[in-house]
Amino acid sequence: MLKHQKLQLQLKPVAMALLIAGFSQAAFADQYSDAAQQWANDEFVPSTLSQAQQLEELQWFIEAAKPYRGMEINVASETITTHEYEAKTLAKAFFEITGIKINHDLIQEGDVVEKLQTQMQSGRNIYDGYINDSDLIGTHSRYGQVVPISDMMAGDSKDVTLPTLDIEDFIGISFTTGQDGKIYQLPDQQFANLYWFRADWFERDDLKEKFKMEYGYELGVPLNWSAYEDIAEFFSEKVKTIDGQTVYGHMDYGKKDPSLGWRFTDAWLSMAGAGDKGLPNGLPVDEWGIRVEGCQPVGSSVSRGGATNGPAAVFATAKYVEWLQKYAPPEAQGMTFGEAGPVPAQGNVAQQIFWYTAFTADMTKPGLPVVNEDGTPKWRMAPSPRGPYWEEGMKLGYQDAGSWTFLKSTPLDRRQAAWLYAQFVVSKTVSLKKTLVGLTPIRESDINSQAMTDAAPKLGGLVEFYRSDARVQWTPTGTNVPDYPKLAQLWWQYVAEAASGEKTPQQAMDGLAAAQDKVLQRLERSKAQGACGPKLNEEKDPEFWLSQAGAPKAKLANEKPQGKTIAYSDMFSK
Amino acid sequence: MSKTKNIGMSAYIIFLLLPIYWLLNMSFKHNDEILGKLSFWPQSFTLHNYQVIFSDPSWYMGYVNSIYYVLLNMVITLAVALPAAYAFSRFRFMGDKHLFFWLLTNRMAPPAVFLLPFFQLYSSVGLFDTHIAVALAHCLFNVPLAVWILEGFMSGVPREIDETAYIDGYSFTRFFTRIFIPLIRSGIGVTAFFCFMFSWVELLLARTLTSVNAKPIAAVMTRTVSASGIDWGVLSAAGVLTIVPGILVVWFVRNHVAKGFALGRV
Repeated sequence: MLKHQKLQLQLKPVAMALLIAGFSQAAFADQYSDAAQQWANDEFVPSTLSQAQQLEELQWFIEAAKPYRGMEINVASETITTHEYEAKTLAKAFFEITGIKINHDLIQEGDVVEKLQTQMQSGRNIYDGYINDSDLIGTHSRYGQVVPISDMMAGDSKDVTLPTLDIEDFIGISFTTGQDGKIYQLPDQQFANLYWFRADWFERDDLKEKFKMEYGYELGVPLNWSAYEDIAEFFSEKVKTIDGQTVYGHMDYGKKDPSLGWRFTDAWLSMAGAGDKGLPNGLPVDEWGIRVEGCQPVGSSVSRGGATNGPAAVFATAKYVEWLQKYAPPEAQGMTFGEAGPVPAQGNVAQQIFWYTAFTADMTKPGLPVVNEDGTPKWRMAPSPRGPYWEEGMKLGYQDAGSWTFLKSTPLDRRQAAWLYAQFVVSKTVSLKKTLVGLTPIRESDINSQAMTDAAPKLGGLVEFYRSDARVQWTPTGTNVPDYPKLAQLWWQYVAEAASGEKTPQQAMDGLAAAQDKVLQRLERSKAQGACGPKLNEEKDPEFWLSQAGAPKAKLANEKPQGKTIAYSDMFSK
Repeated sequence: MSKTKNIGMSAYIIFLLLPIYWLLNMSFKHNDEILGKLSFWPQSFTLHNYQVIFSDPSWYMGYVNSIYYVLLNMVITLAVALPAAYAFSRFRFMGDKHLFFWLLTNRMAPPAVFLLPFFQLYSSVGLFDTHIAVALAHCLFNVPLAVWILEGFMSGVPREIDETAYIDGYSFTRFFTRIFIPLIRSGIGVTAFFCFMFSWVELLLARTLTSVNAKPIAAVMTRTVSASGIDWGVLSAAGVLTIVPGILVVWFVRNHVAKGFALGRV
């Protein structure tokens, strides 16, 4: 009896403690639900979900995150408005709603890739998740270091996968799918590379009349490179000044700098028409000029069946150099990507063939020379004109798709907690708000929402572009590129040789193709990429490849067909 | 003669200060002004760029991290190098000359060479992304330099002083801390200055050995570069703020450094 009593006495404090713990647990649960309610009220509006649906989704996060509460997770991404919003607002919301602390680190894109490579090569965990451009899809699907998210969703992370994630709703999911059909990355933000022009000048009767007289067709959005060239010449050499200010018909950049590589690897060759038909990327030859057989890259020189130094690629390079020298402001030659980007906003550029929609927010700021007093832009964006080698069924431009990437070297529980955060920042609950803040749409449902319709007049054609069928022709680098970091860094060095006039476009592209083949050869010898690793073709007479159908395409007799334009208002109705 | 000398000197100083002035100038401008037109002083003066840095922990913690590991490095380096330099200066032992020279050869290798070994090692022992990791890595370069500089100063102090102190009944520790160290004060100032200089501007190791918790300011600064251009204003403000600690250090050790340059092995 006594013994029993003693035990009871001993148990009392334990029971008390358990009771208190139970209460505080309940208090915590309330705390998380309250936070969810508050964030849904204050921040996550508008949304494509009703508030009840939002709360249901958030409730799922609260439950799913329970085992990971108290963890501190590190993720890395580049610095654009969308990611800043995630790092400052969504990470905070996620912490308050789930109890998982997120350090969303913003660093330069090059550094993200560097950290990712370090982790891939060393097998040591640096970040628990990365937002890495889907241009690396061919790299990730070959090295076997990335956990495909389709495997995660079906396998070890099934229980922490949001039932309402709705993978079908992501417009960029084909970009992040490997040759094996697995989804390797989850898109988080997307922006495209489009044609940009001063709609107000293109509407001026005096200019329209003058253009028609000179060139015999209407001034409008150019449909082909011939028309783009004519318009560039028209503004730079025929119009010269508008309202007393010197104007230019083209803007670009040409400094020997790594950013010059993007000018080309971001699909410039495909705009001219190099590469084969196929979406999201040409097969067997893609816009980098790399040919694959099965899933193995076999070469990029024409002599090996590639198209990096084929006539279409050389034409694209030659036009880039020619337009930069003839029609762009003289200082453009010495500019980098970062310096050239804001120039059109200063109001003396009529059009730009290679313009990233990431600049939209900066170019719609009130008070700029390119913005009307009511806040609507004087400019518009439109699908880019196509070069003479382009054929129906090919990609036409570049789209950047920063996507969640998880590595096998990250411990499972940390990877799962990061996966929860990744799903949170793309979930329907927050994604429309995020899209409106950062202008980098990823979901079909967001693009078609009323909120986007309302925002459209101030966005210069962004919404119209994403709603049009043309969208699918804008894609990132694809699976033909087996090692993006190693290959991409070759481009700027060779392009710069052409830009400075040191070498002819043909010589520069020959050099680039040879350098690419050398890297492919090294990858082949290293055998690090398994069954889909490169296996170079024997060199043959280029004529053998040029005489066959598809890329590499033989030189056209006439590389400047008749220029064609379309009125902007007719553009999206077609 | 002296007039032309003055003019030459002033021209030289203006020439040197011009980039710093330009940095300062840009840090008080909006991006539109920086990119839009050439102006020799801010047309619409703003403190916005500094406000961005001081209101965001992910920015200002970069400075805190950098200062932390730099100070840690200075302390470790001096604590290790003082006894080492004393030994090289006062004792003769087998291979001393070779060892002394070997120390300096560590500085001849570029930091990149040690990058991967450090990364692997620190990840294995759980030091990755800590301040001490960067401080220790920088010691590889700073300790040899410190030993060399301090040895020069110590050899300048006559051996008789040591002996006299012992005759007077000083223990070694007491002699070292009370008499010897004050005698080479300038040398320590110079050494600390050089340690600071190396560690504060070193980017490669500091960036690779850290990710979130100990990230140096130079790595934080890269975030101003993005797909929608470069945030020149904030980058300039961050640049100005990285110069400030350097100026402070130079200010405090200026007398020592001047003396040190005159006396020692710099």
